[in-house]
Amino acid sequence: MKKTLTVNLGGIVYQIDEDAYRLLDNYLNNLRLHFRKEEGADEIMDDMETRISDLFSEKINEHKQVIVAADVEEIIARMGKPEEIESEEDETEQKSADNEKKQRDSTTTDHHNESTTGKRRLYRDPDNRMLGGVASGFGAYLDCDPTWVRLIMIILIFIPYTPIVVAYLIAWLLIPEARTATEKLSMHGEAATVENIGKSVSDGFNRMSEKANDYIDSGKSRSVLRKIVDMLISVAAFLFKAFLVMLVIICFPVLFVLAIVLLALVVVSVSVLFGGGAALLALLPAINWAPLQTFSPMMTVVSSISMVLLVGIPLAGVLYAILRQFFHWSVMSTFMKWALLIVWLIALVVFCIGMYHVGGHLPVHCYGGSLFI
Amino acid sequence: MNVDNEKSQMRKGMLEYCILLLLRKEQAYASDIIKKLKDVHLIVVEGTLYPLLTRMKNDGQLSYEWIESTQGPPRKYYQLTDKGLSVLAELEVSWKELSDTVEQLSN
Repeated sequence: MKKTLTVNLGGIVYQIDEDAYRLLDNYLNNLRLHFRKEEGADEIMDDMETRISDLFSEKINEHKQVIVAADVEEIIARMGKPEEIESEEDETEQKSADNEKKQRDSTTTDHHNESTTGKRRLYRDPDNRMLGGVASGFGAYLDCDPTWVRLIMIILIFIPYTPIVVAYLIAWLLIPEARTATEKLSMHGEAATVENIGKSVSDGFNRMSEKANDYIDSGKSRSVLRKIVDMLISVAAFLFKAFLVMLVIICFPVLFVLAIVLLALVVVSVSVLFGGGAALLALLPAINWAPLQTFSPMMTVVSSISMVLLVGIPLAGVLYAILRQFFHWSVMSTFMKWALLIVWLIALVVFCIGMYHVGGHLPVHCYGGSLFI
Repeated sequence: MNVDNEKSQMRKGMLEYCILLLLRKEQAYASDIIKKLKDVHLIVVEGTLYPLLTRMKNDGQLSYEWIESTQGPPRKYYQLTDKGLSVLAELEVSWKELSDTVEQLSN
Protein backbone atom coordinates (compact mmCIF):
# COMPACT_ATOMS: atom_id res chain seq x y z
CA MET A 1 0.00 0.00 0.00
CA LYS A 2 1.23 3.48 -0.83
CA LYS A 3 0.04 6.96 -0.17
CA THR A 4 -0.59 9.08 -3.26
CA LEU A 5 -0.55 12.82 -3.75
CA THR A 6 -2.30 15.02 -6.25
CA VAL A 7 -0.07 17.40 -8.17
CA ASN A 8 -0.68 20.04 -10.79
CA LEU A 9 2.04 19.81 -13.39
CA GLY A 10 1.89 22.18 -16.33
CA GLY A 11 -1.83 22.67 -15.83
CA ILE A 12 -2.80 18.98 -15.70
CA VAL A 13 -3.63 17.10 -12.50
CA TYR A 14 -1.87 13.80 -11.76
CA GLN A 15 -2.05 11.22 -9.03
CA ILE A 16 1.48 10.40 -7.94
CA ASP A 17 2.98 8.01 -5.35
CA GLU A 18 4.63 9.66 -2.39
CA ASP A 19 8.14 8.35 -3.15
CA ALA A 20 7.76 9.29 -6.82
CA TYR A 21 6.65 12.75 -5.73
CA ARG A 22 9.70 13.22 -3.54
CA LEU A 23 12.00 12.11 -6.32
CA LEU A 24 10.36 14.49 -8.79
CA ASP A 25 10.33 17.38 -6.34
CA ASN A 26 14.02 16.84 -5.62
CA TYR A 27 14.79 16.68 -9.33
CA LEU A 28 12.90 19.89 -10.12
CA ASN A 29 14.53 21.71 -7.20
CA ASN A 30 17.98 20.70 -8.38
CA LEU A 31 17.18 21.76 -11.93
CA ARG A 32 16.07 25.11 -10.57
CA LEU A 33 19.37 25.35 -8.71
CA HIS A 34 21.21 24.42 -11.89
CA PHE A 35 19.54 27.18 -13.94
CA ARG A 36 19.51 29.78 -11.18
CA LYS A 37 21.90 32.16 -12.92
CA GLU A 38 20.45 31.72 -16.36
CA GLU A 39 18.31 34.51 -17.76
CA GLY A 40 14.68 33.36 -17.91
CA ALA A 41 15.19 30.48 -15.48
CA ASP A 42 11.50 30.47 -14.57
CA GLU A 43 10.53 30.11 -18.19
CA ILE A 44 12.92 27.20 -18.69
CA MET A 45 11.47 25.49 -15.64
CA ASP A 46 7.89 26.08 -16.82
CA ASP A 47 8.70 24.61 -20.22
CA MET A 48 10.39 21.59 -18.68
CA GLU A 49 7.46 21.01 -16.35
CA THR A 50 5.13 21.14 -19.34
CA ARG A 51 7.30 18.56 -21.08
CA ILE A 52 7.32 16.28 -18.04
CA SER A 53 3.56 16.69 -17.90
CA ASP A 54 3.33 15.56 -21.55
CA LEU A 55 5.49 12.54 -20.79
CA PHE A 56 3.35 11.69 -17.76
CA SER A 57 0.19 11.77 -19.82
CA GLU A 58 1.73 9.11 -22.07
CA LYS A 59 2.22 6.93 -18.96
CA ILE A 60 -1.37 7.18 -17.84
CA ASN A 61 -4.17 5.11 -19.27
CA GLU A 62 -7.38 3.49 -18.14
CA HIS A 63 -5.57 0.65 -16.38
CA LYS A 64 -2.77 2.68 -14.87
CA GLN A 65 -3.83 5.81 -13.12
CA VAL A 66 -0.95 6.60 -10.79
CA ILE A 67 2.57 7.83 -11.56
CA VAL A 68 5.10 5.58 -9.78
CA ALA A 69 8.77 6.09 -8.94
CA ALA A 70 9.90 4.01 -11.93
CA ASP A 71 8.04 6.40 -14.28
CA VAL A 72 9.77 9.38 -12.70
CA GLU A 73 13.16 7.67 -12.92
CA GLU A 74 12.60 6.93 -16.59
CA ILE A 75 11.60 10.53 -17.26
CA ILE A 76 14.61 11.88 -15.37
CA ALA A 77 16.85 9.66 -17.50
CA ARG A 78 15.11 11.03 -20.59
CA MET A 79 15.22 14.70 -19.59
CA GLY A 80 18.72 14.43 -18.17
CA LYS A 81 20.20 15.00 -14.73
CA PRO A 82 21.39 18.54 -14.04
CA GLU A 83 25.01 17.58 -14.70
CA GLU A 84 24.08 16.30 -18.15
CA ILE A 85 22.30 19.49 -19.12
CA GLU A 86 24.62 22.24 -20.13
CA SER A 87 24.10 25.81 -19.21
CA GLU A 88 26.23 28.86 -19.92
CA GLU A 89 27.32 29.20 -16.34
CA ASP A 90 28.37 25.58 -16.41
CA GLU A 91 31.12 26.16 -18.92
CA THR A 92 32.72 28.97 -16.98
CA GLU A 93 32.42 26.95 -13.80
CA GLN A 94 34.08 24.01 -15.44
CA LYS A 95 36.89 26.19 -16.71
CA SER A 96 37.54 27.71 -13.32
CA ALA A 97 37.38 24.25 -11.76
CA ASP A 98 39.94 23.06 -14.29
CA ASN A 99 42.21 26.01 -13.52
CA GLU A 100 41.90 25.42 -9.82
CA LYS A 101 42.73 21.79 -10.30
CA LYS A 102 45.79 22.68 -12.31
CA GLN A 103 46.94 25.13 -9.66
CA ARG A 104 46.37 22.59 -6.96
CA ASP A 105 48.27 19.96 -8.83
CA SER A 106 51.20 22.26 -9.41
CA THR A 107 51.42 23.63 -5.89
CA THR A 108 50.73 20.53 -3.87
CA THR A 109 52.05 17.07 -4.39
CA ASP A 110 49.51 15.18 -2.33
CA HIS A 111 46.31 14.21 -4.10
CA HIS A 112 43.04 14.39 -2.31
CA ASN A 113 40.13 12.17 -3.00
CA GLU A 114 38.35 13.73 -5.98
CA SER A 115 34.90 13.86 -4.47
CA THR A 116 35.99 15.33 -1.13
CA THR A 117 38.15 18.22 -2.28
CA GLY A 118 35.74 20.85 -0.90
CA LYS A 119 36.39 22.55 2.39
CA ARG A 120 34.47 21.03 5.28
CA ARG A 121 32.23 23.54 6.99
CA LEU A 122 30.39 23.44 10.28
CA TYR A 123 26.60 23.42 9.99
CA ARG A 124 23.78 22.07 12.08
CA ASP A 125 22.51 18.91 10.45
CA PRO A 126 18.70 18.92 10.28
CA ASP A 127 18.51 15.37 8.86
CA ASN A 128 20.03 13.55 11.83
CA ARG A 129 19.12 15.84 14.64
CA MET A 130 17.94 14.95 18.14
CA LEU A 131 17.48 18.53 19.33
CA GLY A 132 19.04 21.31 17.32
CA GLY A 133 21.33 19.27 15.09
CA VAL A 134 24.46 20.60 16.82
CA ALA A 135 25.90 17.19 17.71
CA SER A 136 25.15 15.70 14.29
CA GLY A 137 26.69 18.79 12.70
CA PHE A 138 29.86 18.35 14.75
CA GLY A 139 29.80 14.65 13.89
CA ALA A 140 29.72 15.49 10.17
CA TYR A 141 32.42 18.13 10.66
CA LEU A 142 34.73 15.77 12.54
CA ASP A 143 33.74 12.87 10.27
CA CYS A 144 32.63 10.61 13.12
CA ASP A 145 29.38 9.11 14.38
CA PRO A 146 27.29 11.84 16.09
CA THR A 147 26.41 9.30 18.81
CA TRP A 148 29.89 9.74 20.27
CA VAL A 149 29.53 13.54 20.27
CA ARG A 150 26.19 13.20 22.06
CA LEU A 151 27.61 10.75 24.58
CA ILE A 152 30.47 13.12 25.43
CA MET A 153 28.00 16.01 25.79
CA ILE A 154 25.81 14.01 28.19
CA ILE A 155 28.84 12.97 30.25
CA LEU A 156 29.93 16.62 30.40
CA ILE A 157 26.57 17.62 31.89
CA PHE A 158 27.38 15.57 35.00
CA ILE A 159 30.84 17.05 35.44
CA PRO A 160 30.59 20.28 37.44
CA TYR A 161 31.96 23.59 36.14
CA THR A 162 31.60 22.66 32.48
CA PRO A 163 28.99 24.99 30.98
CA ILE A 164 27.98 22.46 28.32
CA VAL A 165 24.31 23.47 28.34
CA VAL A 166 25.18 27.11 27.77
CA ALA A 167 27.76 26.11 25.16
CA TYR A 168 25.14 23.98 23.40
CA LEU A 169 22.62 26.83 23.37
CA ILE A 170 25.21 29.28 22.05
CA ALA A 171 26.26 26.78 19.38
CA TRP A 172 22.60 26.30 18.45
CA LEU A 173 22.18 30.07 18.08
CA LEU A 174 25.41 30.73 16.22
CA ILE A 175 25.87 27.75 13.91
CA PRO A 176 23.66 28.01 10.82
CA GLU A 177 21.49 25.10 9.72
CA ALA A 178 22.40 23.29 6.49
CA ARG A 179 19.35 23.93 4.32
CA THR A 180 20.36 23.74 0.67
CA ALA A 181 22.02 20.88 -1.16
CA THR A 182 25.19 22.97 -1.42
CA GLU A 183 25.36 23.51 2.33
CA LYS A 184 24.70 19.87 3.04
CA LEU A 185 27.47 18.86 0.68
CA SER A 186 29.98 21.24 2.23
CA MET A 187 28.93 20.01 5.67
CA HIS A 188 30.33 16.64 4.66
CA GLY A 189 33.28 18.29 2.97
CA GLU A 190 32.22 17.56 -0.59
CA ALA A 191 32.80 20.18 -3.23
CA ALA A 192 29.54 21.79 -4.30
CA THR A 193 29.91 21.16 -8.00
CA VAL A 194 26.97 20.69 -10.28
CA GLU A 195 27.89 17.00 -10.59
CA ASN A 196 27.74 16.47 -6.84
CA ILE A 197 24.45 18.32 -6.54
CA GLY A 198 23.10 16.18 -9.33
CA LYS A 199 24.42 13.10 -7.55
CA SER A 200 22.63 14.11 -4.38
CA VAL A 201 19.35 14.01 -6.28
CA SER A 202 19.62 10.31 -6.92
CA ASP A 203 21.49 9.74 -3.63
CA GLY A 204 18.60 11.29 -1.77
CA PHE A 205 16.30 8.78 -3.32
CA ASN A 206 18.60 5.84 -2.62
CA ARG A 207 19.11 6.95 0.94
CA MET A 208 15.38 7.21 1.40
CA SER A 209 14.81 3.61 0.42
CA GLU A 210 17.88 2.51 2.41
CA LYS A 211 16.54 4.29 5.44
CA ALA A 212 13.29 2.38 5.16
CA ASN A 213 15.25 -0.87 4.98
CA ASP A 214 17.40 0.18 7.92
CA TYR A 215 14.31 0.74 9.92
CA ILE A 216 13.02 -2.72 9.17
CA ASP A 217 16.41 -4.37 9.69
CA SER A 218 17.35 -2.32 12.73
CA GLY A 219 16.67 -5.21 15.09
CA LYS A 220 19.41 -7.29 13.46
CA SER A 221 22.08 -4.80 12.49
CA ARG A 222 22.21 -2.64 15.62
CA SER A 223 23.85 -4.03 18.72
CA VAL A 224 22.05 -4.00 22.06
CA LEU A 225 24.56 -1.55 23.52
CA ARG A 226 24.02 0.81 20.61
CA LYS A 227 20.27 0.64 21.11
CA ILE A 228 20.57 1.42 24.81
CA VAL A 229 22.81 4.39 24.05
CA ASP A 230 20.35 5.62 21.42
CA MET A 231 17.51 5.32 23.88
CA LEU A 232 19.41 7.17 26.61
CA ILE A 233 20.19 9.94 24.19
CA SER A 234 16.56 10.35 23.15
CA VAL A 235 15.52 10.46 26.83
CA ALA A 236 18.18 13.09 27.53
CA ALA A 237 17.07 15.09 24.49
CA PHE A 238 13.47 14.94 25.67
CA LEU A 239 14.40 16.14 29.18
CA PHE A 240 16.46 18.94 27.73
CA LYS A 241 13.58 20.01 25.52
CA ALA A 242 11.22 20.00 28.52
CA PHE A 243 13.78 22.04 30.44
CA LEU A 244 13.91 24.62 27.64
CA VAL A 245 10.13 24.89 27.50
CA MET A 246 10.00 25.39 31.29
CA LEU A 247 12.71 28.01 31.03
CA VAL A 248 10.72 29.93 28.42
CA ILE A 249 7.55 29.78 30.54
CA ILE A 250 9.38 30.96 33.64
CA CYS A 251 11.28 33.63 31.79
CA PHE A 252 8.30 35.14 30.05
CA PRO A 253 7.23 37.51 32.90
CA VAL A 254 10.90 38.24 33.55
CA LEU A 255 11.35 39.17 29.90
CA PHE A 256 8.35 41.47 30.13
CA VAL A 257 9.82 43.27 33.14
CA LEU A 258 13.19 43.44 31.43
CA ALA A 259 11.57 45.06 28.40
CA ILE A 260 10.14 47.81 30.59
CA VAL A 261 13.49 48.29 32.34
CA LEU A 262 15.18 48.47 28.96
CA LEU A 263 12.77 51.15 27.79
CA ALA A 264 13.45 53.19 30.92
CA LEU A 265 17.19 52.75 30.47
CA VAL A 266 17.02 53.92 26.89
CA VAL A 267 15.20 57.07 28.02
CA VAL A 268 17.79 57.61 30.75
CA SER A 269 20.79 57.11 28.53
CA VAL A 270 19.39 59.31 25.79
CA SER A 271 18.71 62.08 28.26
CA VAL A 272 22.19 61.68 29.72
CA LEU A 273 23.70 61.89 26.28
CA PHE A 274 21.75 64.88 25.08
CA GLY A 275 20.36 66.70 28.07
CA GLY A 276 23.16 66.07 30.49
CA GLY A 277 22.83 65.40 34.18
CA ALA A 278 20.33 68.19 34.86
CA ALA A 279 17.64 66.61 32.71
CA LEU A 280 18.28 63.29 34.35
CA LEU A 281 17.95 64.74 37.81
CA ALA A 282 14.68 66.34 36.79
CA LEU A 283 13.45 63.12 35.26
CA LEU A 284 14.24 60.81 38.15
CA PRO A 285 14.42 62.95 41.26
CA ALA A 286 13.80 59.97 43.53
CA ILE A 287 17.19 58.49 42.77
CA ASN A 288 20.17 59.87 44.61
CA TRP A 289 22.67 60.46 41.83
CA ALA A 290 25.28 62.03 44.12
CA PRO A 291 27.68 59.09 44.22
CA LEU A 292 27.62 58.81 40.47
CA GLN A 293 28.18 62.51 39.95
CA THR A 294 31.38 62.42 41.94
CA PHE A 295 32.97 60.35 39.17
CA SER A 296 33.71 61.48 35.69
CA PRO A 297 30.48 61.95 33.72
CA MET A 298 32.14 59.86 31.03
CA MET A 299 32.00 56.82 33.29
CA THR A 300 28.29 57.28 33.91
CA VAL A 301 27.52 57.58 30.23
CA VAL A 302 29.64 54.56 29.31
CA SER A 303 28.13 52.47 32.09
CA SER A 304 24.60 53.40 31.05
CA ILE A 305 25.23 52.53 27.43
CA SER A 306 26.83 49.21 28.33
CA MET A 307 23.90 48.46 30.61
CA VAL A 308 21.45 49.10 27.78
CA LEU A 309 23.43 46.84 25.46
CA LEU A 310 23.78 44.18 28.12
CA VAL A 311 20.02 43.89 28.57
CA GLY A 312 19.00 44.99 25.11
CA ILE A 313 20.91 42.55 22.92
CA PRO A 314 19.51 39.32 24.42
CA LEU A 315 16.06 40.89 24.59
CA ALA A 316 16.19 42.04 21.00
CA GLY A 317 17.47 38.59 20.01
CA VAL A 318 14.60 36.81 21.74
CA LEU A 319 12.08 39.29 20.33
CA TYR A 320 13.51 38.81 16.85
CA ALA A 321 13.28 35.03 17.19
CA ILE A 322 9.65 35.23 18.34
CA LEU A 323 8.54 37.81 15.77
CA ARG A 324 10.33 35.90 13.03
CA GLN A 325 7.82 33.09 13.47
CA PHE A 326 4.91 35.43 12.81
CA PHE A 327 6.29 37.64 10.06
CA HIS A 328 8.47 35.09 8.24
CA TRP A 329 11.60 37.21 8.48
CA SER A 330 14.83 35.70 7.29
CA VAL A 331 17.26 34.12 9.74
CA MET A 332 19.86 36.44 11.24
CA SER A 333 23.17 36.14 9.42
CA THR A 334 26.03 34.39 11.17
CA PHE A 335 28.15 37.52 10.96
CA MET A 336 25.41 39.48 12.72
CA LYS A 337 25.14 36.88 15.46
CA TRP A 338 28.87 36.93 16.13
CA ALA A 339 28.98 40.72 16.06
CA LEU A 340 26.16 40.92 18.59
CA LEU A 341 27.80 38.34 20.85
CA ILE A 342 31.09 40.23 20.81
CA VAL A 343 29.38 43.57 21.48
CA TRP A 344 27.50 41.94 24.34
CA LEU A 345 30.68 40.53 25.89
CA ILE A 346 32.39 43.93 25.61
CA ALA A 347 29.37 45.59 27.24
CA LEU A 348 29.52 43.00 30.03
CA VAL A 349 33.18 43.73 30.72
CA VAL A 350 32.70 47.50 30.58
CA PHE A 351 29.68 47.30 32.82
CA CYS A 352 31.52 45.18 35.39
CA ILE A 353 34.42 47.65 35.45
CA GLY A 354 32.03 50.58 35.80
CA MET A 355 30.11 48.90 38.60
CA TYR A 356 33.33 48.03 40.40
CA HIS A 357 34.36 51.69 40.39
CA VAL A 358 30.96 52.98 41.46
CA GLY A 359 30.17 50.15 43.79
CA GLY A 360 33.40 50.54 45.72
CA HIS A 361 32.39 54.01 46.76
CA LEU A 362 28.66 53.59 47.15
CA PRO A 363 27.21 54.59 50.44
CA VAL A 364 25.01 51.88 51.90
CA HIS A 365 21.81 53.89 51.75
CA CYS A 366 22.25 54.92 48.12
CA TYR A 367 19.10 54.51 46.03
CA GLY A 368 21.11 54.50 42.86
CA GLY A 369 22.82 51.31 43.89
CA SER A 370 19.59 49.40 44.11
CA LEU A 371 18.82 50.25 40.52
CA PHE A 372 21.95 48.64 39.27
CA ILE A 373 22.48 45.72 41.58
CA MET B 1 42.34 14.69 -25.88
CA ASN B 2 38.94 13.29 -25.09
CA VAL B 3 37.05 12.05 -28.16
CA ASP B 4 33.63 12.04 -26.46
CA ASN B 5 34.13 15.59 -25.33
CA GLU B 6 35.14 16.58 -28.85
CA LYS B 7 32.04 14.95 -30.31
CA SER B 8 29.72 16.65 -27.85
CA GLN B 9 31.37 20.01 -28.56
CA MET B 10 30.74 19.48 -32.28
CA ARG B 11 27.09 18.62 -31.67
CA LYS B 12 26.69 21.60 -29.41
CA GLY B 13 28.02 23.95 -32.04
CA MET B 14 25.58 22.53 -34.56
CA LEU B 15 22.54 22.52 -32.34
CA GLU B 16 21.54 26.16 -32.68
CA TYR B 17 21.95 26.04 -36.46
CA CYS B 18 19.81 22.91 -36.66
CA ILE B 19 17.03 24.40 -34.56
CA LEU B 20 16.94 27.42 -36.88
CA LEU B 21 16.84 25.08 -39.89
CA LEU B 22 13.96 23.07 -38.42
CA LEU B 23 11.94 26.19 -37.66
CA ARG B 24 12.49 27.76 -41.08
CA LYS B 25 9.89 25.51 -42.70
CA GLU B 26 7.17 25.74 -40.08
CA GLN B 27 6.51 26.76 -36.53
CA ALA B 28 6.87 23.93 -34.05
CA TYR B 29 6.08 22.77 -30.54
CA ALA B 30 9.09 22.04 -28.30
CA SER B 31 8.23 18.33 -28.17
CA ASP B 32 8.23 18.17 -31.99
CA ILE B 33 11.66 19.79 -32.12
CA ILE B 34 12.92 17.30 -29.52
CA LYS B 35 11.59 14.37 -31.50
CA LYS B 36 13.27 15.49 -34.72
CA LEU B 37 16.59 16.25 -33.02
CA LYS B 38 16.53 12.92 -31.17
CA ASP B 39 15.83 11.04 -34.37
CA VAL B 40 19.10 12.32 -35.82
CA HIS B 41 20.99 11.85 -32.49
CA LEU B 42 21.78 15.52 -32.12
CA ILE B 43 20.68 15.63 -28.51
CA VAL B 44 21.09 12.96 -25.86
CA VAL B 45 18.98 14.37 -23.03
CA GLU B 46 15.90 16.43 -23.71
CA GLY B 47 16.64 18.95 -20.98
CA THR B 48 19.40 20.46 -23.15
CA LEU B 49 16.90 21.99 -25.55
CA TYR B 50 14.91 24.15 -23.13
CA PRO B 51 17.67 26.50 -21.93
CA LEU B 52 18.77 26.87 -25.55
CA LEU B 53 15.27 27.77 -26.81
CA THR B 54 14.86 30.33 -24.02
CA ARG B 55 18.29 31.78 -24.73
CA MET B 56 17.51 32.10 -28.46
CA LYS B 57 14.14 33.65 -27.68
CA ASN B 58 15.74 36.20 -25.31
CA ASP B 59 18.25 36.98 -28.03
CA GLY B 60 15.39 37.78 -30.41
CA GLN B 61 16.01 34.94 -32.88
CA LEU B 62 12.82 33.13 -31.95
CA SER B 63 9.35 34.11 -30.88
CA TYR B 64 6.44 31.96 -29.78
CA GLU B 65 2.69 31.99 -29.69
CA TRP B 66 0.23 29.98 -27.65
CA ILE B 67 -1.89 27.64 -29.74
CA GLU B 68 -4.85 25.70 -28.37
CA SER B 69 -4.36 21.97 -28.22
CA THR B 70 -6.85 19.14 -28.37
CA GLN B 71 -5.11 17.32 -25.49
CA GLY B 72 -4.73 19.64 -22.54
CA PRO B 73 -3.56 23.19 -22.05
CA PRO B 74 -2.41 25.51 -24.88
CA ARG B 75 1.07 24.84 -26.27
CA LYS B 76 3.96 27.13 -27.03
CA TYR B 77 4.77 27.12 -30.74
CA TYR B 78 8.13 28.57 -31.68
CA GLN B 79 8.86 30.39 -34.95
CA LEU B 80 11.73 32.34 -36.50
CA THR B 81 11.90 36.12 -36.30
CA ASP B 82 13.61 38.37 -38.85
CA LYS B 83 16.69 38.34 -36.70
CA GLY B 84 16.53 34.56 -36.59
CA LEU B 85 16.39 34.46 -40.37
CA SER B 86 19.46 36.69 -40.74
CA VAL B 87 21.37 34.63 -38.13
CA LEU B 88 20.41 31.52 -40.06
CA ALA B 89 21.70 33.06 -43.29
CA GLU B 90 25.05 33.86 -41.62
CA LEU B 91 25.34 30.41 -40.11
CA GLU B 92 24.56 28.82 -43.47
CA VAL B 93 27.45 30.69 -45.06
CA SER B 94 29.90 29.68 -42.37
CA TRP B 95 28.63 26.08 -42.40
CA LYS B 96 29.18 25.97 -46.16
CA GLU B 97 32.72 27.22 -45.70
CA LEU B 98 33.40 24.72 -42.93
CA SER B 99 32.05 21.75 -44.82
CA ASP B 100 33.96 22.80 -47.95
CA THR B 101 37.16 23.01 -45.94
CA VAL B 102 36.59 19.61 -44.36
CA GLU B 103 35.71 18.18 -47.77
CA GLN B 104 38.90 19.54 -49.29
CA LEU B 105 41.09 18.32 -46.45
CA SER B 106 39.66 14.84 -46.47
CA ASN B 107 40.22 14.41 -50.20
